[in-house]
Amino acid sequence: MLCDSCGKNPVTTHIKTIINGELTEYSLCAECAQRLGYGNLLTGLGCDYGSLLGGFFGGTELDDPVRCKCCGSTFDDIMRSGQVGCAQCYHTFYDRLIPLIQRIHGNTRHRGKVPGGGALQSRPQEQLSLMRRELREAIDAENFEHAASLRDRIKELEGGKVHE
Amino acid sequence: MNNPNPGCEEDVVIRTQIHLIRNLTDVPFCAKMSRADRQKLSERVVEAFSGNETLSHLFQFTDMESLSRVEAVSLVERHLVSADFISDRRGRGFFVNADETVSIMVNEEDHIHLQSSEAGLNPQKAFATADGLDDILDKCLGFAFDENLGYLTQNPVNLGTGMRASLMLHLPALREGGGISRISANLSKLGLALRGTFGSGVEPKGAVYQLSNRVTFGLSEQEAIANLQSIAMQLIEQERAARKELAESLEIQDTVSRSLAILQSAKMMANEEFMQLISNVRFGVATGLVDPIDYGEINRLMVLVQPATLTFYSGKKLTPAERRSLRAEKIRDFLKKGKYLWPN
Repeated sequence: MLCDSCGKNPVTTHIKTIINGELTEYSLCAECAQRLGYGNLLTGLGCDYGSLLGGFFGGTELDDPVRCKCCGSTFDDIMRSGQVGCAQCYHTFYDRLIPLIQRIHGNTRHRGKVPGGGALQSRPQEQLSLMRRELREAIDAENFEHAASLRDRIKELEGGKVHE
Repeated sequence: MNNPNPGCEEDVVIRTQIHLIRNLTDVPFCAKMSRADRQKLSERVVEAFSGNETLSHLFQFTDMESLSRVEAVSLVERHLVSADFISDRRGRGFFVNADETVSIMVNEEDHIHLQSSEAGLNPQKAFATADGLDDILDKCLGFAFDENLGYLTQNPVNLGTGMRASLMLHLPALREGGGISRISANLSKLGLALRGTFGSGVEPKGAVYQLSNRVTFGLSEQEAIANLQSIAMQLIEQERAARKELAESLEIQDTVSRSLAILQSAKMMANEEFMQLISNVRFGVATGLVDPIDYGEINRLMVLVQPATLTFYSGKKLTPAERRSLRAEKIRDFLKKGKYLWPN
């Protein structure tokens, strides 16, 4: 399918809009999306999840059995759709998502609002107990690389280097 | 230059909108939800609103499935929901306050999409409203958040503050000068996006543009807003300088006068023609070529004579010809009174 605007390049973005009282959808290539102000940080990188994935894993299909306990997503599902399945996925696939997030946003961390109440995941204690459970599971599954990086992050949290 | 509300820059800035994207911790994100899941989440949010005295008093809930097509499209024309939101209405609903300045979409791309609007350039006030409402909703619903990643979103592009701040700008002079695409490319490097408004055809039509931040991660809400505001001020100054120059041209003066005359006397008015003519008149008001008309009233007119909204408020089905005739009548009436009084 070719771009509605230039007619030359393949479509990467679909824009829904209302034109004269009718719901209309335009299909744009990355270049035209960028030119018309509909680019996001991914089009800014000149790539999508597919090519990000290719960049990391040489384009080979991942065959990873790990599924998120909350929504059942695998890391493959996330990469294929470009959408994370649920909040828990960010913890389940943290180590694999971080390089991607850094590619999109740069090597940085959240500097904005911190919720005052309700946000369970923001409680260091909650986060620690989740990570300890994940560590046990990683050791059981003999996923030692993942376990080592989890252990380091748990140490960091326990060391009190938690953002106030 | 005619600018009755200093500070709000209403001669150039039509409206400010702050969007906050939030998700719940214990429910899959929207793409993973069945219709029943969406329904359940919607009920849960309705319950949270009705259980809170402030919220239940201020907001009214509408189930998107209960609306006609015309009503749904009118919501987009009135900037209350997105076009994406009405493209599949199953299990979706939204809340809106009485003066339609705050709305909350449930189950758009993320569980909660909160919007707060202010007339002219006023991101601080729009953010304060959104921020306060976000706090209340967070207490009731518990939003997904991570110390390092910020608010967790379905698309990792929106991680961090989950905030988009956008300004709707009227830039007829910069457009006339042909500088928009260059400006847009420069803004893109600064992490901002400048979008034209689509017309019939892919290339942007008309002189209304949307300027918004693209970066949500690694900088605070206040930093993003300050950044947007400072870039907007530069654009506003450029637009004003270009307007001043254009307004001296006899051809432009002629275009403005004719545009006003057509709007004052036409018996039938198509929407795209109206948008072009009202843009010329708004330019005329800003440059003193046309007697002052309140910018806020012009903005209301621009929204309320859109096809679906006009049809919706007329309370009956209209043929395209009837719609053009009703639009022309409402515009003539508006220009006589300098106010848009329908529907009251």
